Amino acid sequence: MSEKSAEESSYLTDEYISRLKTLSEALESGDETRIHGLVGELTTLRESSLYQELGKITREIHDSINAFGNDERIAELAQEAIPDAKERLSFIVTKTEEAAHKTMEGAEAAMILMDGFSDKAKVLLERWTSFRNRQLSKEEFIVLNDDINGFLDSFGSDSQAVNSQMTDIMLAQDYQDITGQMIKQVVTMVQEVEDKLVRLVTISGAWCSDTNTEKSSGEIAEGPQLPTADQSQVATSQGDVDDILASLGF
Amino acid sequence: MKILIVDDFSTMRRIVKNLLRDLGFNNTSEADDGQTALPMLKSGGFDFLVTDWNMPGMDGLTLLREVRADENLSKMPVLMVTAEAKREQIVVAAEAGVNGYVVKPFTAITLKEKINKIFERLEG
Repeated sequence: MSEKSAEESSYLTDEYISRLKTLSEALESGDETRIHGLVGELTTLRESSLYQELGKITREIHDSINAFGNDERIAELAQEAIPDAKERLSFIVTKTEEAAHKTMEGAEAAMILMDGFSDKAKVLLERWTSFRNRQLSKEEFIVLNDDINGFLDSFGSDSQAVNSQMTDIMLAQDYQDITGQMIKQVVTMVQEVEDKLVRLVTISGAWCSDTNTEKSSGEIAEGPQLPTADQSQVATSQGDVDDILASLGF
Repeated sequence: MKILIVDDFSTMRRIVKNLLRDLGFNNTSEADDGQTALPMLKSGGFDFLVTDWNMPGMDGLTLLREVRADENLSKMPVLMVTAEAKREQIVVAAEAGVNGYVVKPFTAITLKEKINKIFERLEG
């Protein structure tokens, strides 16, 4: 503030002040010609200092814009970093999709094997119960005996297969490491772009506020909300969704 | 009971398909957006529609409105399974005539509950 007022009064040079004093004397003595001359001189002095200030400001703006234009990093960001980030994000989509499918393949295969265990065990239990209730003939018992043996035999290899599916599921999670690193790189790049844009906005003198107030109508898909979203406007759980629907008479 | 699952992500279609199979619904078909889904629905044979909202081509809300506007499909139960969680979006979907709204990420139990509720209401 004090800096600003000093700049505003920067035309009050010694030259200007001495003329003001002379003007005051001329006014007292009523020397009109002298007064007109002095007022003219004062105006010229004041105008020239204003032009100087204006020139200084213009030069500063010019330098800032030039510095921005000459910032090689901006060209690099536009030509390399942003396309690179797009590629990385696409790669992340592919990688996570692959991992999800691999996980589901493992889970589906393991479920089929587990269903097999459960079906076989159920049938064997029924027959075993019949045997314990003395409802099985000798021939039936011989067959049951063989079947139990076969079940126990296959149990070992089948449970190993389930185990191997579980290992595949676990290994499919390795995408998190790679994609996590890539996402961090993209976040760093976005941060840098943000900084540059803020500088551009500062130079152009535009205001950041009040530009992003357009409200969505609820018609447009916006994708998932961040956990930081306005909780009063966003359903954060299925319970919230059910409450909203209930309030509409659902 | 023939069900059409509409989602642009194949993984999500697979999850929904698996969960539906667990619930005893084995007859399912898939489409990756509304544009693909609508002709499938119009060609007939489907009893139930499970759709995402945010999809390229035709989104789920538009698909829902198309279904409600078609005299042969207008009564079809529609369950929306979506990440769209804004209050006003849920209201818009309800006004467009959705029968159930499940927000992602969801659990098997939630999906089961909502599907059962839709059928209970249809039978009742």
